[in-house]
Amino acid sequence: MRRSRLASLLLAGTLLTCEPAVAEPGLTDTEILIGDVEPLTGPPALLGVGHTIGVKIAVAEINAAGGINGRKIRYVFEDDGYVTARTLQGLKKVIDVDKAFALLGLSGSGQSVAALPELEEAGIPTVISVGPVKPLWEPPRKNVFVVGQAYEEGIRQLVSYLADKNPGRKWGLVTQNDDYGIAVLDGFEAVVKAKNLNVVYEGSYKKGQQDFSSDILRVKDAGVEVFLAGGIISENVAMVKELEKLGVKPVIGIFWPGRIEPVIRLMGPPSDGIYAVDYVEPQASAAGQAFLEKAKAILPEAELKGVNRYTFAAYAAARTLFAAIGRCGKQPTWACTISELENTKDFATGTMAPISFGPGVRFSSQQLKIMRIDFATTSFKPVD
Amino acid sequence: MDYFLQLAVSGIAIGAVYGLLAMGFAAIYKSTGLVNFAQGEITMIVAYIAWTIATTVSGNVVVVSAGAIAAAVVLGLAIERIVMRPMLGEPVFSTVMVTIGLAVILRSSITFIWDAYPHALDLGTGRGIIRIGGLGVRGAQIAVVGTLLLLLAGFWLFFRYSKFGVAMRAVAADDRTALLMGISASRIHAIAWAASSVVAGIAGIFFAISYDLSPDMYQLGLKAFPATILGGLDSVLGSGFGGILIGLTENLAGGYLGSGVKDVAGFVMIVVVLMIRPFGLFGERDIERV
Repeated sequence: MRRSRLASLLLAGTLLTCEPAVAEPGLTDTEILIGDVEPLTGPPALLGVGHTIGVKIAVAEINAAGGINGRKIRYVFEDDGYVTARTLQGLKKVIDVDKAFALLGLSGSGQSVAALPELEEAGIPTVISVGPVKPLWEPPRKNVFVVGQAYEEGIRQLVSYLADKNPGRKWGLVTQNDDYGIAVLDGFEAVVKAKNLNVVYEGSYKKGQQDFSSDILRVKDAGVEVFLAGGIISENVAMVKELEKLGVKPVIGIFWPGRIEPVIRLMGPPSDGIYAVDYVEPQASAAGQAFLEKAKAILPEAELKGVNRYTFAAYAAARTLFAAIGRCGKQPTWACTISELENTKDFATGTMAPISFGPGVRFSSQQLKIMRIDFATTSFKPVD
Repeated sequence: MDYFLQLAVSGIAIGAVYGLLAMGFAAIYKSTGLVNFAQGEITMIVAYIAWTIATTVSGNVVVVSAGAIAAAVVLGLAIERIVMRPMLGEPVFSTVMVTIGLAVILRSSITFIWDAYPHALDLGTGRGIIRIGGLGVRGAQIAVVGTLLLLLAGFWLFFRYSKFGVAMRAVAADDRTALLMGISASRIHAIAWAASSVVAGIAGIFFAISYDLSPDMYQLGLKAFPATILGGLDSVLGSGFGGILIGLTENLAGGYLGSGVKDVAGFVMIVVVLMIRPFGLFGERDIERV
């Protein structure tokens, strides 16, 4: 009797003192589960599909090298169709049902902001790279990291560059009448004030507008010489084609959400020389070409067509997250992963400038590049 | 003056696209009493089919047009036979909900079958710019206005002189009496769906040539619906003119009053017109014997 009691005590003591083999959700002896929610249907699928391809490249690369400390990465993602309610549903599924260890993504900027309370409550390590907007990092959340640059800063640098190149010219802007447009307008107006620019036309449009004939006619009538096309993709194409139709050729600037190669073909020859700003390497750069070569070796032909700037951004975010998990050794935890993400310093991914976070710093504030469209090669090329 | 003319020309061109779609709305309503909320999606699907033909089979205008029109006929007939005919006799609300469901399915099919990228539909000289004095207009914009006028004349002749046209009017006026007179309502409905898909598809192709293809092209249906209400939901010809009026009003409002006003200008006009003529500019007043 005494011997069996002693055995029971020893067993209980053993169970209490030894850590379980797998301490966190999404971890098994053989794999680490990474979750994501992206728009994979509807027009925003352009960013969602591009993003998931970038993560897949990073996953394939890590798994081919043996995984993270022997564990292979498995990537699961939900489609939200760019609808915030569905983003939150998808998030619940990847956290509560799939039991992801960490998250990447998450859909558009509005969807990411809406997901913040859920992310904070869950405490799951998250690296966001699709829609970098200030509410995601101000105030900083312990477990939420953002790779990218603020919209306002991007526009500020683009407009500053164009203002220095085109002194004394008349400026015009057409942008979307939503949060994105407000961010664009904020960045624009900051430079207008600082450099005392002569703005002769400011217009806005409702998301989904396809005909810009009256808007661009007003741009022409106002005598705009430097024009900021503040749309996203098809809106910028429509604006440039209207300018062509009206026979006016202002200096044009576009912003990174629409900086994808297919817009060059859609705009046609008038796209030549259009300025853009981005923190992601252009595909025509040496780094961009190297990444594309990597992608070609991994992706099937059909998926290769979906590679765009969001692929580059997602790859960088995924590599940053995987490196942080890797530094946690054989038994990674959420706390360790968050701590290691915070310790990320000058982490090079090849698709953008090195990434750094820091104590209390959850935003990588990527270095920006000004680039120009070269219609002959259908590419964006960095300017000196 | 050039400013006004440019606004008017662009407004009439986009209005012609709305007008064609609106004629499709009215053709279905006239023969079935239904509002088809998938009209914009059908427009988009046919335009994507035209783009597929142009990029994989031949870029010849005749080949693409013939292929797209044939596809539109098949699509319209398939929707009528598979989706709408089983709903015959069911409450109108349920049937309208079916068209809304159909719209969502067709919308999602774009990214499944094609992709989310915008594409250029480069057919003939449609994308070329024609300069008349100080005005600039694309070939497809002139063509869509001409096509609308031709179709308006064609529909007028069809309804007035053809056996099918008279039968459609009979079904619209009183389907039970028409049935007793030996007219097949099902056949009339099928023809209406096919004709509606074709005019919507033509609108989609011209729009895609002028403005490119993209998965949010279905929103054209939302723009064209007010044109149908304005022209008269039961008036195919009135809906065509309604489209021109909406396009023109929107563009003039956008050009003179600001882009914010552009979105609401068409609706303001509808509110005013409907207060005076609740059945639309060219619609027929319902007369009930009591």
